[in-house]
Amino acid sequence: MHEFAVARALVDAAIDIARESHIHRITRLRCRIGDMRQVDRWLLDEAYALAREGTPCEKAELCVERTHMQLECKACGRLFSVIDWDWRCPDCGRSGSNARGGDELELTGIDGEPTDED
Amino acid sequence: MKIEVLRNVFEKNDQAAEQNRSRFDRLGVSCINLLGGAGSGKTSLLESLIPRLSSWMRVGVLEGDLATTSDAERIGALGVPVVQLLTDGGCHLNATLVQHGMESLLQSELDLLIIENVGNPICPANFDLGEHLRISVLSVCEGDDKPQKYPLLFKHVGGVLISKCDLLPHVEFDVDQAEADIRTLNPSAKLLRTSARSGAGIADAASWIRSVVERQPDAVPSS
Repeated sequence: MHEFAVARALVDAAIDIARESHIHRITRLRCRIGDMRQVDRWLLDEAYALAREGTPCEKAELCVERTHMQLECKACGRLFSVIDWDWRCPDCGRSGSNARGGDELELTGIDGEPTDED
Repeated sequence: MKIEVLRNVFEKNDQAAEQNRSRFDRLGVSCINLLGGAGSGKTSLLESLIPRLSSWMRVGVLEGDLATTSDAERIGALGVPVVQLLTDGGCHLNATLVQHGMESLLQSELDLLIIENVGNPICPANFDLGEHLRISVLSVCEGDDKPQKYPLLFKHVGGVLISKCDLLPHVEFDVDQAEADIRTLNPSAKLLRTSARSGAGIADAASWIRSVVERQPDAVPSS
């Protein structure tokens, strides 16, 4: 249950960016989370609802882009995404190797309304 | 108004981890973060490793746990300084918790601080604590599918200790497959087969840890 830590860190980071960018109300928070982080979307939404209370993110929608680990097929060389933890090549069924990606945990942007003086 | 950024979500934790690492460096302390699922055998491995490590260096242990002080008592019985850090239900340690917890331990002069993380194969792997070396423990009782199920536990570690290998004749666990999967995730990880009960692999694991702590060439072959 690290989803609460993720949600709180997302809200904190979004508030920092909003301050730097003179945004007073955040309407959308965009992030990229790799499967390897094993962040459950339902738990994240629950945690985010709590973490954003009383903050400039209070009304902000949370958009999550999921990324997958990539493997290289040992037999046919195909680079494929691992879905549902299945490490077998979708073409030839052999196990893949040389893992890359899938561990992203990044805030990629915010949308919001600028403060009045801007 | 749309703002594009690329910011590590755990940036604040990582900053606190960097502060911890700098402090360890200033004090000449090496730090190990020991990870693994509940019951993987982390504490038993420490009970076997610490007497060897203590003959070469001054060792202290920070014991992370959800509840109870039983692990700290086991480690304390070895005669090394130990502090129990209870997360009170929290499923992982983070760098700030460690910052507070390590204070009294760092009053002792240490060469090596071992942090035993909360037993959990998922959450702790997300948090840098400021360690120099991260080691995962995978017991043969857990199943050889765990590297595929919990890849983050194995991806960013310096080594994996496969534990309870004395039980291999009694469990369905393909060590070669598990090791191949760990290599797929992390080709440079040190892999060692161990058993705290029989003592197998303990001398090699201790020598490998010593070589990393003392920044000497590693003379122990991987399994």
